[in-house]
Amino acid sequence: MAMHEAAVVVHDLTKRFGSFVAVDRISFSIERGEVFGFLGPNGAGKSTTIRMLSGLLLPSEGTATVAGADVAREAEELRRRIGYMPQLFSLYSDLTVEENLQFYGGLYGLGPSTLSGRMAQLQELLGLGEVLGRLTSTLSTGWRQRAALACAIVHEPPVVFLDEPTSGVDQSARQQFWDLIADLAADGTTVLVTTHLMEEAERCTRLGMISRGKIIAMDSPHALMAGLDGLIFVAEVERPLEALQALAGQPWVRDSALSGSRVRVRVADGTADVEGQLRAVLDSAGIAVERVRETRPSLEDVFVALVGDAGEGEAA
Amino acid sequence: MRCPAPLRRMLAVARAEWIHNVRDRRSLAIIIALPIMLLLLYGYAIDFALDELLFAVLDEDRTEQSAELVRSMASSRYFTLVSAVGTPAEIERMIAAGRIRFGFVVPRGFGEDVSAGRAGQVQVLLDGSDSMTAGVALGYVEAIVRERQLDLIAEWAARSGVPPALIAPPIDVRTRTLYNPELKTVTFMVPGLIAVIMTMLAALLTSGCIVREREVGSFEGLAASPIAPVEIIIGKLLPYAAIAVADVILCIGVGWLVFGVYPTGSRPALLLLSGLYLVASLAIGLAISSVARTQQVATLLAFLATMLPTLLLTGFVFPLRSMPTVLQWFAQVIPATHFLKVIRGIYLKGTGLGPYTQETVALAVISLALVVLAAKSFRKSLE
Repeated sequence: MAMHEAAVVVHDLTKRFGSFVAVDRISFSIERGEVFGFLGPNGAGKSTTIRMLSGLLLPSEGTATVAGADVAREAEELRRRIGYMPQLFSLYSDLTVEENLQFYGGLYGLGPSTLSGRMAQLQELLGLGEVLGRLTSTLSTGWRQRAALACAIVHEPPVVFLDEPTSGVDQSARQQFWDLIADLAADGTTVLVTTHLMEEAERCTRLGMISRGKIIAMDSPHALMAGLDGLIFVAEVERPLEALQALAGQPWVRDSALSGSRVRVRVADGTADVEGQLRAVLDSAGIAVERVRETRPSLEDVFVALVGDAGEGEAA
Repeated sequence: MRCPAPLRRMLAVARAEWIHNVRDRRSLAIIIALPIMLLLLYGYAIDFALDELLFAVLDEDRTEQSAELVRSMASSRYFTLVSAVGTPAEIERMIAAGRIRFGFVVPRGFGEDVSAGRAGQVQVLLDGSDSMTAGVALGYVEAIVRERQLDLIAEWAARSGVPPALIAPPIDVRTRTLYNPELKTVTFMVPGLIAVIMTMLAALLTSGCIVREREVGSFEGLAASPIAPVEIIIGKLLPYAAIAVADVILCIGVGWLVFGVYPTGSRPALLLLSGLYLVASLAIGLAISSVARTQQVATLLAFLATMLPTLLLTGFVFPLRSMPTVLQWFAQVIPATHFLKVIRGIYLKGTGLGPYTQETVALAVISLALVVLAAKSFRKSLE
């Protein structure tokens, strides 16, 4: 791979399944050592994009180059240079972690001495020592994902694709997993990771927000949040879903969305007495309001504002 | 020693597949118990069906000669006399009711004809609805009658003082059956059964192993790696080829212990050719597994693709030469056609590989072609 070239270069990449357009002319590039996040709801086209970049699906149109290999024409070369961790757990559940590592090491043609050296490294990097001899079926989801990551990077690929690596993983294990991603990037590995969790997305160096097969925004998380117009208010209310419906039609509300059990609304800069107006609307709808406060914009607010459709707010 | 990457990849797949099988009790049970069960089941079923054929006798002649003939029939180990009846209609009723397989009628005048040196006539009423059994029964009856005929000629010659050589039939057909002198079906069937059972089992074993990976999700990791389809196919074949040959040894053992039928010829040659032959079946299973959407479909397809042609078109049940020419050509591409000749030969004729160069080459070509087919039908794409 030429040194000057970006790790991933995607141009007008499109994937159609029959008449359904899963990925619609997306273009982006990822520099070496970046942690690039794909953020969007399920079905937005994140996995389809990753599968095209991994050589598992042929693009309908457009081109993509990963680590210098064209995804359509140089699939075998491509596969040697990438690590791929599918969304669905893909290790053998009746094999131990060590046996899975040996299997993947073998698939990438690693010899016994290279492999044992690499396994020692991975043990240290991922702290796998205590689970190495256990069947993966007996592991917690957090450990399984770590083992899967270890298998995906056993051959030291320059580019790694992680498809929803933390789905089903608890909060603290998720933090640890993102620490591992940061370590990988610090060592010069380029990481493309998909997620539908906003708080994870903040740990990426750059984000592509994806909705209905299109990239609707692309920048660093900080720049995306800073670029959002207006003010964000969060309200703790009695019946959030009904509150959301009551607020959605108000002319002074630019966007509204559910965030957990709270309602978030975005209003234009300089809107007067937001709390008063909000309480008035909800009071007349018979919904009790516990607390209203202004807050800093989150990635979720950015996403909701960009999509401009509360129906997509489930991305949180 | 440096080991090339493709070999490492194949060995990685082979090792994982081996571990799946030894850790899964169900697949172990299939590997060990199924071939034994099937061999016992079919071995006994076929053996008993043709051993004690029930029949009834209508002796209208009631002479010493007719009684002698009936006695030799009843004392045959192939037949069991159920009853002596008075009218032909009774025989028909008993056949219809399934109480007997055939009726044996000695018409009036038989003894007189025989004593006078004329040809005596007998009649056999067969149940044509089971033509297989009927054919076998008729064969046995003819053999017994022919033997009796020769005795009678000798007796008559002795009484009349004429040298037997002068009155013996101009052409004396004496059949001597080679290799299976007692014409025991079980002797003939066991090697064929082993071939059929192993054909089915081999395809069943591999039919699940790729479609299952698609179902549990491990396929994506495999597909995203640099391994080539042919390396996956060969990697998956290796452990199953070892398992299948072990099963052949198991079947040979059971055939020997239970039915007393064993390969009289070269056993290493038999195992070698079994391995070569079973690669074909394993590859059929893998090809099906590559294209099937679910494991159930794969299992069913594997069963149909191996059992039907093997049972019907290879000479296992129906002789090949009695089939239309087109089907005879088709039979040549079915691996079992060639393997049946080899395994029966090694079992019954006591040969080695020597006489089977043609079959060996055919098996090698077919197996290789099926491995290529399996590799071609394997798609790493997820579409």
